[in-house]
Amino acid sequence: MDDLAPPLSGLIGELEKLPTIGPKTAARLAFYILSASREDANALAEAIVAVKDRVRLCSRCFSLTEADPCSICRDVRRDPKTLCVVGEPKDVYAVERSMSFKGRYHVLGGLISPMDGIGVAQLHVKELVERVGTEGIDEVIVATNPNAEGESTALYLARLLAPTGVRVTRLAYGLPIGGDLDYADEVTLARALEGRRAL
Amino acid sequence: MRVLSLELDQFRNYAALRFTPPSGACVFIGDNAQGKSNLLEALALLATGKSFRAAREADLIRDDAPAASVSARVATRHGEIQAACIVARAGEGARKRFFRNGRAVPYGQFLGGVMAVTFIPLDLQLVIGPAGLRRRLLNAGLAQTSRAYYRDLAAYGAVVTQKNALLRASGAPDRDLLLTYNEQMAISGGRIASARAVYVRKLASEATAAHARWVGASPEFDVAYRPSPALAEETPEAIEQALRAALEANQTLEIKRRSALYGPHRDDLALSLGGLPLARFGSQGQQRTAVLALKAAEYASLHAAAGEPPILLLDDVLSELDRERRHAFLSSLGDFDQAFITSTDVPDMPATLRGEVVRVRAGSLAIENAAHA
Repeated sequence: MDDLAPPLSGLIGELEKLPTIGPKTAARLAFYILSASREDANALAEAIVAVKDRVRLCSRCFSLTEADPCSICRDVRRDPKTLCVVGEPKDVYAVERSMSFKGRYHVLGGLISPMDGIGVAQLHVKELVERVGTEGIDEVIVATNPNAEGESTALYLARLLAPTGVRVTRLAYGLPIGGDLDYADEVTLARALEGRRAL
Repeated sequence: MRVLSLELDQFRNYAALRFTPPSGACVFIGDNAQGKSNLLEALALLATGKSFRAAREADLIRDDAPAASVSARVATRHGEIQAACIVARAGEGARKRFFRNGRAVPYGQFLGGVMAVTFIPLDLQLVIGPAGLRRRLLNAGLAQTSRAYYRDLAAYGAVVTQKNALLRASGAPDRDLLLTYNEQMAISGGRIASARAVYVRKLASEATAAHARWVGASPEFDVAYRPSPALAEETPEAIEQALRAALEANQTLEIKRRSALYGPHRDDLALSLGGLPLARFGSQGQQRTAVLALKAAEYASLHAAAGEPPILLLDDVLSELDRERRHAFLSSLGDFDQAFITSTDVPDMPATLRGEVVRVRAGSLAIENAAHA
């Protein structure tokens, strides 16, 4: 890309660093930005600076927020006695989209994985135990990913919280709505059978 | 079970290969480094989902191509299936995707479609080599016939890796996390060891029988399971409890040694001839016969589990055997539908095994003649 104007090749280079963006897509986006109106280009640049400057972690639940504590922690209509524990901030939005959880959250900031250098101390686990002790929590719903690290993290939290007497639950494994029983993988199906309900 | 057609694209030294293998024995001959073993490696990939020799899976991809693909149509007793694997470069390594009849499937569901017994020079170390080789023998037979076993093994392996990382990290390990990993190991480990105990009994009776056919009933070749920790009972629940107890009792030791010391990842097989351990007291010839008996037993067990003969992949091992052993071994697998054999020259094989010789030269194949017409 030596024959491109340096600012343009610079922008392509920056865009290429983004996940799922290859050289071709980066070039397409860069040319689009170049041809866009001054206002649109400014808005994009300002939006990028704004997320870096103004988004931070909620000091209570460690979710992403502009104001601290976050809007969910401040919302008095939400059930203060139920905590949903997730790995990453983006998982908060996944659970929120379901519109069926009315409690509050606690974001661990990752899942336990010693082989990646992520131990208990690197996560917001201590803060979770403190919250369970001080906020009068009745139930902790562990909603970590259903993979190896998520499973270990969930079991670890259950063990850790057992002495506090709080009820610790785990999201059920089930079949996707609208799916075909035929196509379900056996593990999911076996777990769904274990977690079956009376009709 | 029989491979009807094989297609390789950008796999190892094959740019694009379309090959219709013969039934019976297919002998690939040619000089070294022409791509003979690559063909067996591709077939093994469709059976086990893994290469039997690549340390880095990206090595399976030819030159600078972005991805390699292996695809085969295979006749099984349940009808014809199409199995494929695509290995694509991803960052520093590679990512594999599996397909059954054109549909992407997870690895766990891919296993068990194509079944193969692989015999490579490394297997000749089965008696005297490290225990990992003997666990590999157990896993190869079990994972192809039981998806549940494969899943448990994968889950167990992931937990052991994390536990070892925890024990090796600086500072005292978090006790609750250690107990969490121990609990997970006990549950999946119990099922793994139980499945292995049952499998080893089948394998042992086949191996003892094959050995007796070749060299007589005495001294008897015996194969016994040596699980870690030693077990009194074989139900998954009993082993789970025993494993839980062993992990609890040895927690301090594991912390001190900074390593996971107990569990199925430390299992072994005891191989003996006339009651004496073969690795210590067997002659080289006796050890080699024992290896062949184990491989023949693996073939027989997979055959019984699948209800049809698995595909045989013999990579450069026939030339390692003297004529008598080679004939005895091949004759005992006489009912195979299809075998793929690599060799530098046409091997001397029993006359009953009809085969075709295919010369491999720099990634291209030429059918030469019938080995035994």
